[in-house]
Amino acid sequence: MIRALGVLAVLVALAIPVLGTRDLVTATFFTFLYIVLALNYDILGGFLGYMNLGQGAFFGLAAYVTVILLNSGWLDGLGRGDMVAAAVGGAAATAAVAFVFAYPLFRLSGAYFAMATFAMVLLTRHFILNLPALTGGSYGIYVNPRHFLSLYLAYFLALGLLLGSAALNRALARSRLGLAVTAIRESEPAAAAIGLDLFRVKRRVLVLSAVPSALAGAVFGLQAGYIDVDAAMGVDKTLLPVIMALMGGSGLVAGPVVGGLLIRALDVLLKNYLHLAVPALAVYGLILLGIGLLMPQGVLNVRRLRPRPAR
Amino acid sequence: MTLQTVLDLLLGGISLGGIYALVAFALSLSLATTHVLNVAHGSFMVLGAALATLLVQVAGVGWPLAAVLLLVSFVVLGLGFEAAFVRPFAARSPEEILVGSILVTFGFALAVEALLGYYWARLVDPQPSFSLTFPLARVTLGGFAVSGTRLLILVVATGAITAFHVFLRRSALGRAVRAVAQNYAAAVILGVNPRLVSRAIYLTGILATATGGVLLALAIPLEPYSGLRLTLVAMTIVVIGGVGNLPGALFGGGLLGVAEVITAYALGSVWAPVVSLLVFFTVLVIRPEGLWGRRRA
Repeated sequence: MIRALGVLAVLVALAIPVLGTRDLVTATFFTFLYIVLALNYDILGGFLGYMNLGQGAFFGLAAYVTVILLNSGWLDGLGRGDMVAAAVGGAAATAAVAFVFAYPLFRLSGAYFAMATFAMVLLTRHFILNLPALTGGSYGIYVNPRHFLSLYLAYFLALGLLLGSAALNRALARSRLGLAVTAIRESEPAAAAIGLDLFRVKRRVLVLSAVPSALAGAVFGLQAGYIDVDAAMGVDKTLLPVIMALMGGSGLVAGPVVGGLLIRALDVLLKNYLHLAVPALAVYGLILLGIGLLMPQGVLNVRRLRPRPAR
Repeated sequence: MTLQTVLDLLLGGISLGGIYALVAFALSLSLATTHVLNVAHGSFMVLGAALATLLVQVAGVGWPLAAVLLLVSFVVLGLGFEAAFVRPFAARSPEEILVGSILVTFGFALAVEALLGYYWARLVDPQPSFSLTFPLARVTLGGFAVSGTRLLILVVATGAITAFHVFLRRSALGRAVRAVAQNYAAAVILGVNPRLVSRAIYLTGILATATGGVLLALAIPLEPYSGLRLTLVAMTIVVIGGVGNLPGALFGGGLLGVAEVITAYALGSVWAPVVSLLVFFTVLVIRPEGLWGRRRA
């Protein structure tokens, strides 16, 4: 049943660029990027049980590194391979940053961890804004037109990243590493007692969750042709994935996809059709508030509704 | 660098540190008593600054009347916030409270800041910025001229911290707050009403925080979206000084205040917000039990 639905969804995704309007393709392209972020978020948020409010930092950082690498001219000798090399460079730099941030972040857990990941976004933003010689500061940075990615190519790359991220989560759920991650989520002392190196496991999944988000950021930057901090690293990039994963059911592979489609439909409705007298961000804030007040374990997450044993 | 500059920087840093200490102490007390991590804490600073700017700078209300109006507004806001977003968590386990409360208060902060920014831009000023001026010239002290506004900030912040301290030490309700912060179960067994404590701590905490926001707007302009950053500044001080620890909060606040002012002077004001974030991560790596506190068992 789920498999049939998945195949159907992929067929629809393949048909959209052929049959749909350019607006629909653009909207779907962004939906894919957000779902990639939501799936990546869920590696920490759902599997490990650590709420990462900094997924957008990986996305934005990679977008910047990719564009800066291409604009620097260092990759010109590579011919047509320069864009791939730049994206790989962006992803590698982001993975390195995630590796380093693992050290302070995993000193914390629970809500403190979540706040620290948000601090990571703010820190990255400040550095981008304060180094205008490198990043263009608040004016943003343009991509050389010969490096533009066409919308249709970007669309299929984003679809590939989405399928890859879903496959990653699925593989993780069934792997040894995934078992370790689940053990840590259920009880850190018990996981440590059976000999797991908690920090190494956490660091590994943090880096793992950063890489597809980084590639999505690279695709975004090259497709947009222009990035600034709000476009590449706005609160929406960091918050919508969390809402998507929680709405759809955190800890399930299909959850972030379903939640992503729901929230993106709402997003398009809010921004393009409804014309409410309130900003979209306020609506997301209220959704988050409602989730926290009514169902802090996530909306569709049946598995977690079982009562947990008392500690 | 002349002695005058040193004095200006020091006074600027310490007055800023006083505001930070006040706000951080309020955050850490609410955390210690209710286990709710109030991400919207900094947003109450922004709201305080915004409302004061609206009353004093835009509507032209005099300071005494504005102070009364601010007091009434934040009493209502504090009690309402506690009833709507803190009390529903009271019966849950501390871990569930932390994660649920971050969603609720983060959502609240976003909604409030987005609405404030949107409507301020529409109705008042297309470039929302909250800053206050107080008619005080430079004061001459022992041959040096120092900023009157900075002195005022320092005096008010010190007064507010002292009042907070006296409330906790001397009043029955203050003792109840400290008892709940130390040991919830024991306090409840001894007849302390945890609901009353929760209400009292959010009321006083939000009043203190809004006061901090008004004081901060006297020194530097605030934007509608400054709230989350200010929450992180307060959290950094809690990390440095420990939860519910007044001397730690004073030490952490003073440290960050002076460091920010010196950074702004040496590298430009755009680097000032980076200081607290870097301190936050550095302290976590080298001394996760806090610079002030001892490692807990």
